[in-house]
Amino acid sequence: MTLSPVDWIIIVVYLVGCLVAGLWMRRYVRGVQEFAVAGRHMDVNLGIASLAATELGLVTIMYAAQLGYEKGFAGATIGVVIWGAMWLVGRTGFVIVPMRNAGVMTIPELFEKRFGTRVRWLAGFFVAVGGLLNMGIFLRLGGEFLVHATGLPPGYLEWVMTALLGLVLLYTMLGGMLSVLVTDYLQFLVMGVGIVAVSVVVLWHTGWGNLVGGLDAAWQAGQLKAHPYNPLHASNFGWGYLLWQAAFQIACATTWQTQISRVLAARDAATAQRMYRRTSFYFVGRFLLPALWGAAAFVWFANQGGLPEGVTSLTAMPQYLSLILPIGLIGIVVAGMLAAEMSTDSGYMLTWGTVIYNDLVRPCLRRPLTAKAELLLTRLLVLAIALFLLVYGLWYELPGNAWDYLAVTGNIYLASVFTLLVAGLYWPRATPTGAAAALVLGAVGPILFLVIGKSHAIAPEVAGASSFGLAAAGMIVGSLLTRRPPTPAATTACA
Amino acid sequence: MNSLPLVVWSILIAASIGWYAFLVVHIGRKAGGEIRELIKTLSQRPPSDPPTS
Repeated sequence: MTLSPVDWIIIVVYLVGCLVAGLWMRRYVRGVQEFAVAGRHMDVNLGIASLAATELGLVTIMYAAQLGYEKGFAGATIGVVIWGAMWLVGRTGFVIVPMRNAGVMTIPELFEKRFGTRVRWLAGFFVAVGGLLNMGIFLRLGGEFLVHATGLPPGYLEWVMTALLGLVLLYTMLGGMLSVLVTDYLQFLVMGVGIVAVSVVVLWHTGWGNLVGGLDAAWQAGQLKAHPYNPLHASNFGWGYLLWQAAFQIACATTWQTQISRVLAARDAATAQRMYRRTSFYFVGRFLLPALWGAAAFVWFANQGGLPEGVTSLTAMPQYLSLILPIGLIGIVVAGMLAAEMSTDSGYMLTWGTVIYNDLVRPCLRRPLTAKAELLLTRLLVLAIALFLLVYGLWYELPGNAWDYLAVTGNIYLASVFTLLVAGLYWPRATPTGAAAALVLGAVGPILFLVIGKSHAIAPEVAGASSFGLAAAGMIVGSLLTRRPPTPAATTACA
Repeated sequence: MNSLPLVVWSILIAASIGWYAFLVVHIGRKAGGEIRELIKTLSQRPPSDPPTS
């Protein structure tokens, strides 16, 4: 596919617009509060735009389309589970209300009040490791989309993604959450137009009857390994996987730091609850619409006699789009997909940079830094994360499909931090020893999956579910065997 | 294979496309106003306010 001059103009205008808007917000940053949580001035609609834009990245579109290619529409069941989890948390205020009311900047900071500084540091460590490994594949998958959708020579992939990351880094480093909110808003609009346009074109091109008929025929002929509509069928996710996902998604809605940073930036707890409820259905489309594109790609290539050489279940969708999108629309779609990539990268870099500063570095300082030095250090940490992304994204090979990798790396801290949050807020008997045991044990299963997952088959639901069981066991046994100190330990974590 | 799950997925696909299109317009209008309010609030802070940390 060749981009026309009109396509290029759309893409360049969008990129320049994001850069200017992001840099403009820099003037309002006076300290870490504005940089990390936008001074807590965010209202509900801006929160919806930011939350939706951050959590729907190009990587999301790639793995959801892969699920659609392999499992048909049933591959989008996880989106329905997320809808339920987000709505439930938004309706009840479970965890997010006490967390917003605590006035903290990160989740580990909340733990210090309940379990002491050492637990805060340990939690910050696992949150940062899990988060960084999780976003490590974002650039690679984003690049794969661009290569296959636009016909970009593969040799340019690294350079294009490096330039894109550099642009995002510039406004994120300088404007922090204020820049992220404004650029997320622009990216939410561009991305929304792109997703709706692609979905309509895919349905028009394939035809609903042909799509469903193709999936039916493939299932009956054994070409499709999973039932295309029924997620509970033995060939598809099954009960075990979906139960793990239900627990995982409730943990995610209450502890995934990039989501929680929007809760903490909200004007008040009621705003955060409204933001969750109103964004919840967005997560169905976040899985289902790319899964629709993936399923359409499957039917298309099945009719052509199979995938071309060098194309996999992961890259089939962008390859298919490159064949059907008309010139003129591709500029909007590429801009929309770049928006998805940029909003996620900026939100994630800022979030993990804030956690590393706030929970790993700050507790180790003998004397507090000046506001200027704090800001500089946080900005340098965002830069370091960008460099890590470039290096890690180039050499790591996925042990399974992309969604399983993301779920398992997230689980390094999700299960244990969720256990700490629930026990810390609702179980008076919880102790710092139980908290530390939960953090360490909760990380065992996911780390084993990542280290030996390529040589020894470990089911992702086993690795993921074991972390919930082990974290809970660590918290209960560790707390029952020790006494809670009269006041939280006031020691320096690094002493 | 006109099963119940297929009917559910069909409804969800149509609803998702509609919801995304609605949000682009609705959030585009509302959140744009909230950004203006945010900038106004940040601009009105007195210059003597100490930097936050």
